[in-house]
Amino acid sequence: MNRNCRYSLILVIGLWFGGMGSTTALDFGELVDLGNKLKKIVSDVPVEEEVRIGGNLVSGLLGAAPLVEDPALQQYVNDVGYWVASRSSRSDLPWTFGVIDSDGINAFAAPGGYVVITLGLYNLLQNEAQLAGVLAHEVAHVVRRHHLIALQKSMRREFLTDLTVLAADDKKKGRKLENLVNAGVQLYATGLDREDELDADLRGVVLAARAGYDPFALLDVLTTIDSINPTAEELTVMLNTHPPIADRLNRLAERMDGRLDRFASGRTNPERFRRVALNP
Amino acid sequence: MKLHFKICALFIFLATPLQAGQDAIVVREAVVYSASSSTSQAVGKIAAGSRVSVFERKGGWKEVYFEQESIVGWVRGYQIREASLAPAMEAESGSDSRGFLAGLAAFSRKASGFFRSSNSTTSSGTATIGVRGLSEAEINAARPDYDELKKMQQYASNNVRLVEFRQIGQLSENNVKHLAADKKQAKSTAANRVSEK
Repeated sequence: MNRNCRYSLILVIGLWFGGMGSTTALDFGELVDLGNKLKKIVSDVPVEEEVRIGGNLVSGLLGAAPLVEDPALQQYVNDVGYWVASRSSRSDLPWTFGVIDSDGINAFAAPGGYVVITLGLYNLLQNEAQLAGVLAHEVAHVVRRHHLIALQKSMRREFLTDLTVLAADDKKKGRKLENLVNAGVQLYATGLDREDELDADLRGVVLAARAGYDPFALLDVLTTIDSINPTAEELTVMLNTHPPIADRLNRLAERMDGRLDRFASGRTNPERFRRVALNP
Repeated sequence: MKLHFKICALFIFLATPLQAGQDAIVVREAVVYSASSSTSQAVGKIAAGSRVSVFERKGGWKEVYFEQESIVGWVRGYQIREASLAPAMEAESGSDSRGFLAGLAAFSRKASGFFRSSNSTTSSGTATIGVRGLSEAEINAARPDYDELKKMQQYASNNVRLVEFRQIGQLSENNVKHLAADKKQAKSTAANRVSEK
């Protein structure tokens, strides 16, 4: 099925769902079937549409905190991120990374290949492998389309309507796009499902290992974050939006145990990381 | 015999000034195993906050010596943290866990953000020298900044740049299969699954 046909199908399903009144009675089987169709819709969102949605979402984040004005730092983070992302199944996305000027301790991903990390988190890192681990976690969110699925869940019928309007280049496009962006930006405050975070941890350490880095470096980062006073203001959003770090560490370590040991000698490149950090 | 040798080595080590990275703090209660596997014999427990010395690392495990109870064994790497690292909390007050020079770099960036915000029309409330984070309120109140998006896209990497980056960093490609999810996660992700090629 070519892209146009596939997208037509999305529109048809979208309109079909959009046309269902809220009073329509559905039994459980129908709901499951509907859920499966919705997931299919998310996976069939064309790449260019996904990139456009992601670009709008990340613009919202950049509105909250601009990029750090340090071209060498931004290029370095893009090189690390691009290399890690190239080891994923969606290496063809226009991967774009950025460090934002915020003392918050967090990282965010947006559909289509956008990833930002706060300066507060960057300053906690000790080497390139840790940076790669953080970026790989975010890359995994994009690869698995976690944000699109979460948007679909939170907006339900409106999400489909918005996508169809975007595709049809309707006059209402601007307003609909704004709704979609607002819902997406809100997602950064409320967070993804806990299991999505654990899924991204598991996938992230594998991407880091594929890229030649020590995959255990992500555990070091989580340990560092875990040792920060939970009342610290910088952590508020992180703790609201992620499962308890102790839970993540335990489950991640259990799944990694014995399976990634041979990659523990992967590169960490602390010298290169420090060189970039020392040249603002 | 191996244990005695390591304890002797530790005494020699303690007689010399401590070097960064050899001392560690247990950040969560750790079960100590006789080998780098949770299927090996548990030889003790170390409470959170205890100071230990690290001998070596194997995969996700670190071999430690806990002087207070004369325990030598293996703990999961994430259960301990290098004592030479300043508490991460200090990052909030302007110091930096990577040391003084890196802290200066961080300060410099914050300072440049401060001056930029006082001389430009950027409406971000975060470009100050203070310690404000990206709060939920800031995220919700933010207006999209498409100029910043364009700037961000200018820094994107490419395959040409990657050649030198990988060469200098000695980064090799490895074939690694994705890890299986645990039962709890498998159940959840099955419900959310989106096909990944």
